[in-house]
Amino acid sequence: MFRLNLKIAWRNLWKNKGYTLINILGLSVGMASCILIFIFIRFQLSFDEGYKNAGRIYRVVTDWKYNAFDDFSAGVPIPFTAAARNEIAGIEKIGAIAKLDDIIHIKDNTGREILKSQENVYFAEPDFFDIININWKYGKPAEALKAPNSVALSEAMAIKYFGSVQNAIGKSITMGTKTQLSVTGIFQDMPQNSSFPLKIVIAYQNLYNYYGNRDCWDCINSSLSSYMLLKEGLTRSDLDGAMAKFNKKYYADKKIEGNQVNRLQPLSEIHFDERYDNFANATIAKGQIYGLAIIGLFLICTACINFINLNTAQAVNRSKEVGVRKVMGGKRKQLIVQFLTETVVLVLIALLIACMISELAIPAMQNLFKNQISFSLFGHPVIFVFMVLLVAFVGFLAGFYPAMIISGFNPALAIKNKVTLNNNGLSLRKILVVVQFAITVILIIGTIVIVNQMDYLQQKPLGFNSSTVVMVGMPGDQVSKDRRSIFKERILKIPGVQLLSYCQSPPLSQDINSTNFTFNGTKNKDFEVRTCKTDENYFKLFDLKIIAGKVFMKSDTANGYVVNETFLKKVGITKPENALGKMINATGINIPIVGVVKDYNDKSLKEKISGLAISADKNQYWQAAIKLEGKQLVSSMNQIETLWNITFPNNIYHADFVDDRIKGYYESEHIMGILFKVFASVIIFISFIGLFGLISFVAMQRTREVAIRKVLGASTLQLVKMLNGSFLIMVFIANIVAWPMAYLFVSKWLSGFAYRIDLSLWPFVLAMLISMLITFITVSFRSYKAANANTIDVLKYE
Amino acid sequence: MIQLNNIEKYYANKGVKNYVLRLVTTTIKQGEFVSIMGPSGAGKSTLLNIIGMLEEPTYGTYEFMGEDVTSLNERKRIELYRNHIGFVFQAYHLIDEMTVYENIEAPLLYKKVGSSERASRIADLLDRFNIVAKKDLFPNQLSGGQQQLVGIARALAAQPSIILADEPTGNLQSAQAEEIMELFKKLNQEDGITIIQVTHSEKNAQYGNRILHIADGVVKEDVTVA
Repeated sequence: MFRLNLKIAWRNLWKNKGYTLINILGLSVGMASCILIFIFIRFQLSFDEGYKNAGRIYRVVTDWKYNAFDDFSAGVPIPFTAAARNEIAGIEKIGAIAKLDDIIHIKDNTGREILKSQENVYFAEPDFFDIININWKYGKPAEALKAPNSVALSEAMAIKYFGSVQNAIGKSITMGTKTQLSVTGIFQDMPQNSSFPLKIVIAYQNLYNYYGNRDCWDCINSSLSSYMLLKEGLTRSDLDGAMAKFNKKYYADKKIEGNQVNRLQPLSEIHFDERYDNFANATIAKGQIYGLAIIGLFLICTACINFINLNTAQAVNRSKEVGVRKVMGGKRKQLIVQFLTETVVLVLIALLIACMISELAIPAMQNLFKNQISFSLFGHPVIFVFMVLLVAFVGFLAGFYPAMIISGFNPALAIKNKVTLNNNGLSLRKILVVVQFAITVILIIGTIVIVNQMDYLQQKPLGFNSSTVVMVGMPGDQVSKDRRSIFKERILKIPGVQLLSYCQSPPLSQDINSTNFTFNGTKNKDFEVRTCKTDENYFKLFDLKIIAGKVFMKSDTANGYVVNETFLKKVGITKPENALGKMINATGINIPIVGVVKDYNDKSLKEKISGLAISADKNQYWQAAIKLEGKQLVSSMNQIETLWNITFPNNIYHADFVDDRIKGYYESEHIMGILFKVFASVIIFISFIGLFGLISFVAMQRTREVAIRKVLGASTLQLVKMLNGSFLIMVFIANIVAWPMAYLFVSKWLSGFAYRIDLSLWPFVLAMLISMLITFITVSFRSYKAANANTIDVLKYE
Repeated sequence: MIQLNNIEKYYANKGVKNYVLRLVTTTIKQGEFVSIMGPSGAGKSTLLNIIGMLEEPTYGTYEFMGEDVTSLNERKRIELYRNHIGFVFQAYHLIDEMTVYENIEAPLLYKKVGSSERASRIADLLDRFNIVAKKDLFPNQLSGGQQQLVGIARALAAQPSIILADEPTGNLQSAQAEEIMELFKKLNQEDGITIIQVTHSEKNAQYGNRILHIADGVVKEDVTVA
């Protein structure tokens, strides 16, 4: 029976090649999108899974509650870990781990340098690896990371540096200028879906070379973190009391600013909590994952709607078969099984094609994520399970309703072909078309708004000129610092170089240093001032406008602040001139305001301009901003690199254009824009081939009516209008239905930007025009053919 | 075998009852070959549909093989279709997507007949109707008469005790029609299968042994053919 069903299914699909093609195309494109979305979501959800005792592992984070805002850091104070180990009951293990970047030099046996690279290095206490269990190929963390100057490498790093794992053991590597580390352990490579992309792990004691003040409870750096494993049977709430006591002792009693507290964050949340940083620099909000899942569901639903519509429309053609089968003793259940078999065959064919499409799309998808993630169609058994579920889901969703309808025909009527489907009034088919097009229109509107907003972000004047300004990293060691003035002197001689300014960061940057301060003797409690350290050339180089006073004098240390208008507004000064001479104390000394700079966007346009104080501080210039002439960019850049490498031979050259960096801040929005464009195209494609199928069917069904009307004198245009009418009305209604939902979605998305386009009516109107126009073209194409058919041919055979 | 008592069928339209059948009472015994005759719209097909349980009478009772089947649930009705009733249609109603062989096999599959038994029965039928060579053809590759042969073979596959035929030769040329009628006669006489057919043709009616004349929903005449 089953084999026969398959055979019949195949013959039926073949007989209605056109509709089968439409169904398969729609389903396979929809399924391919779903598979790709699933692969992505699975990758994201698989982060930090599979560690032993995962349920008891927590990261300690730091939260602040200021009057005006909350702040969050993934880091803890340096003394935290040691203190917590002794004072908080219920901890089985606690281990600190910190991340920095530094330059690693590898020398061969003769002492000649063979490799130099800038790497993220981690400083970890051995206890950390009792919490996060990873496989060690050589050595044990307890011994390997016990002594200062010992280092453990991942397998890949060992191979990169020394050719093989065996070769690496006992070898030494140089970090920075002088620190000699000896390789004492090798551990497995960390997977891509890990928040711990460990490659080089150094004994924790070495960290103290970087952080002098080991006793500072309000110095928090997000890269100094601490992990703990709770005792068996305990959960986070069991430690609430102990944590509260601890927070009181070290923060409240010490009167540390901002109601600073430490809190435990479960391992499973690290990848999904965007408020806190992590070592992999990869977080994704669960909301985004759900959003993608919903889009996937939308796509597959529209494809299913095509199927349902075409199949119920064709149901009449199969009524005879149903009637005959029923009087031969076929039960309704058996007929349902037969029709579902047909659907499943179709879905399986669609799945095959979907797999091919996915395979072809995967490189593009990896490209979208800058090739940092490698996806694979057959990378994980769960993907197969998903495919099976997908087939079952689609088969059922798409197949069940038509099967119910068709199998429910009354045999006496069915045999005489007298079955009538509810063609008038509010049939399910019409509702489905409206739903399908409502989804399509929502995606079209979303795409238009996102594209507009991205254009707006790119075109909005930021208040400074950063074109052809390149930021070059500057080494921070003393020898290199001493060479800066000579470097600058030589750089300015390179043809095409106009200006150079040493600074902390470009005007728009997400690397934020902020501090509390007293203004004219009174402690400010409302906000933290963002500080920016630059030399005096910065203003000219970035074309920043001074609206009162002047730029501070050339100096190695802060001798005067230039503040922005927002700062003045926040401290309540209306006239810029009045601010001059007022004292700001952010560093322990009172320093006067010497100038006021016109507001410019110092953060991505998702956020408002912050109150800003700019001053000189030679020790905090990490970069050189170099203004180039547009004409000879490439040659100037090459010369800068050569000069840099000669001047700072122990370091690694790194340069990028300010504009590229700014673009980088909108990476996730950029990806979202592309995804929306892709999904909107897919859904438009699916919806409109569905529509094409439906109009083809309607036209075929009404051929006789059309012919008779023609004989009675209807013009082709009138007939086309008649056939088109209901479709255009349905799409119009779909637009009306879609608008409120689209409005909710886009206004929510836009609210994430401090600077955004005004949401006007026209994206909605445009979406309507697009959808109506495509509908009109699709439908007219087919209905014109029907209206233009030869009347006699039609009537003769009736 | 079939006992109809005061069968009425009407469609109510705006309070007006349009009668299709009025007070039909008749008995059809095992082994009879009954032809239902009458002008268009007389209610012949409705009567056959009621006998075939495709429609329910509005009033009256119907006993099939001693059992009251006036209103029967689907499960029981399907049991009767599987074991006792075979249908033959004017437009043959073979399933277009299935070959001759598969069409004949379909009712056996529903009846859950074992595969070897199935094969032998089908072979037997193909042989008997001389359509062995056509078993792999699809219905649209056959002539009307051949299609109707397949239709009858299909109806016989489940070894029913009664065949209900609605104008079985209505779409056929006379030569083919004769062939089909001869076949019915043979089935009735040799195999003892009860046959009820609806027909327009006096000539076809003569093949049977009893004629029910119907006009305006009423049995006007019930004659036995010599």
